[in-house]
Amino acid sequence: MKKHQTRFWIQAALIAAIYATLTILLGSIGYGPVQFRIAEALTVLPALTPAAIPGLFAGCMIANILGPYGMIDMILGGGATLLAAILSYRLRKHPALVPLPPILVNGVVIGAMLYYVYAVPMSLWACMGAVSLGQLVSCYIIGYPLLKILGHYEKIFQ
Amino acid sequence: MSIQARNITHIYSEGLPHESVALFDISFEIDDGEFVGIIGHTGSGKSTLLQHLNGLLKPKSGQIVVGGVDITAGKVSMIDIRRRTGLVFQYPEYQLFEESVAKDVAFGPQNLGLPPEEIESRVEEALQLVGLDYNEFKDKSPFDLSGGEKRKVAIAGVIAMKPEVLILDEPTAGLDPKAHRDILSMIENIHDHEKNITILVTHKMDDVARLADKILVMEDGRLVMNGTPEEIFSQKEALSGMGLSIPEPTELIIDCRECGMDLPADVLTIDQAEEALVAVLAK
Amino acid sequence: MLRDITLGQYYPGNSVIHRLDPRVKIIGTMVYIVALFVVHTFVGFAISFVALAAVIAVSKVPVKFILRGLKPIFFIILFTFVLNMFMYSGEVLVKIGFLQITKEGLYTAFFMATRLILLIIGSSLLTLATRPMSLTDGIESLLKPFSKIGLPAHELAMMMTIALRFIPTLLEETDKIMKAQQARGADFETGNIFKRAKHLIPILIPLFISAFRIAQDMAMAMEARCYRGGDNRTRMNVMKYSKIDGVACVILALFVGAAILERILI
Repeated sequence: MKKHQTRFWIQAALIAAIYATLTILLGSIGYGPVQFRIAEALTVLPALTPAAIPGLFAGCMIANILGPYGMIDMILGGGATLLAAILSYRLRKHPALVPLPPILVNGVVIGAMLYYVYAVPMSLWACMGAVSLGQLVSCYIIGYPLLKILGHYEKIFQ
Repeated sequence: MSIQARNITHIYSEGLPHESVALFDISFEIDDGEFVGIIGHTGSGKSTLLQHLNGLLKPKSGQIVVGGVDITAGKVSMIDIRRRTGLVFQYPEYQLFEESVAKDVAFGPQNLGLPPEEIESRVEEALQLVGLDYNEFKDKSPFDLSGGEKRKVAIAGVIAMKPEVLILDEPTAGLDPKAHRDILSMIENIHDHEKNITILVTHKMDDVARLADKILVMEDGRLVMNGTPEEIFSQKEALSGMGLSIPEPTELIIDCRECGMDLPADVLTIDQAEEALVAVLAK
Repeated sequence: MLRDITLGQYYPGNSVIHRLDPRVKIIGTMVYIVALFVVHTFVGFAISFVALAAVIAVSKVPVKFILRGLKPIFFIILFTFVLNMFMYSGEVLVKIGFLQITKEGLYTAFFMATRLILLIIGSSLLTLATRPMSLTDGIESLLKPFSKIGLPAHELAMMMTIALRFIPTLLEETDKIMKAQQARGADFETGNIFKRAKHLIPILIPLFISAFRIAQDMAMAMEARCYRGGDNRTRMNVMKYSKIDGVACVILALFVGAAILERILI
């Protein structure tokens, strides 16, 4: 494995660790379908380094291994995170748009999960809307400033 | 401004299988303007005690009164406590996060709710006190600085809050001898300038011997000795039983006395040792 | 605060369940979850419950721990239950003001809640009786066939292993950083969501800087020991199927059969 590849995967591992750590420590504020998951602010990272794509995916999986939500969250949540991360990476040239994929993808996927699996008795649209709202706070209000500030420290991602 | 600690006990993880007593029945007093040293082996509870003094931890039982305010009572505002007691952790440079030095130093004062002009003048004053030129450093990114400079910025960040009690946990950890002397004389400077209470946790006996008015010795969560440097460092055996040493000049003079030289028994600093030796050798 | 967090869900033990190959356990859990959606009456849930109770009994994990897993989602379950109860139209049983509880609503509420509870307990059993490292080994092995189509299974597993190893370290770092910023007056507990969110930046930035410093050092250390990636790499603990895994698979097959029968016959 070439030199920069090892670095790539280790960076991914650390991003995964940070995501999982933040999920464990700060968890989410709120109950039911509307939740502010602080760790979701990290979904802006793919704009700074592609290592964040597998990193966030693994972080989501680990947070579910260490936490109590179980396999469905792990697979659906992980999948949603992965897809959103890839899209955010594609949008990296437009910082204002970077938080959008995690809001929309999670909104749709997790919203659907809440409706079908957890049988939250609101309409499908309401479920998706509620999740999107929670994501909006984490991704734009915490995530966007985070992106701007970390953008100054480009060198640590090299 | 004085501090009274009465019968402080703190237990970690109470009720869980790995419960452990961190502090056991600790009582002491610190008077206005004192420079206090806290020494003890790793794991003796020093850091835990420090965190009690600025309200980060609350004791299971006991009372801590800082400047007449019982900070262990129910309804004390955290901001008020932090206004009085400033705590500089080990390796404080790891707490830097802002885009510029000035902004980072301003973080503390901002949290205190001070007006912008006051904040700016405090930032300038704090940077000067730590020996960094305000105009040269204020717009630099903290991450472009050297290790020693970063540490000074971090310390400035706490001083800018003008605490009446300044606590420093091993402020010279990981520094080379010159930087060590630098930081120490800076602390002395600040103590003289601000006339506050300074509490220094350190492994360097030479430093506390020279600077402290009073030394607290901790072991296994208990306060085992409390006295002036002369009193503490005259008990070499007791200290070494706890894994602690005595100042090097003191050690040297003891060795000389054992060889029969007629020297005083209470030497603490290099200067005193020099004086004593010169006096004896001149005969 | 941080010393009180027991990391992860793992409950140490040496029961048959603990000793099963992680791959069997992962697939078993997935099958169980699918079965919960295949069955469509309380009879099906009863079958699932019996199976679940048997596994719990064999695993010797105390029921107290199992129920802990339900705590975080307790509110979701309650929320779901209550709303379902009121929201279905049909034969009215009780009327309180403008709210009405119908027979259909009550049935649906119980049905959904039961399924949810069985689901969560089943999933949490997986993490209770399997070491996290073992789980990542299992996941790596199950994903290996996909590496033929380009999925970097080994790297993913390695990444998860390293992440797991570093989470305690990062938790400590975060604790230190939080305390240092609190000592400077940052407040994470009071205030509205926006204020608290703003005060997270002084934690996140130093955390990132620390983490990436660790990443750099670690990459160098690994290369200095000739790490070259996953090809032809051997491992210290080799996963092997044994007799108990065979038995487990048979029992699993029987369970699936029962679930399918329930669907068809009832």
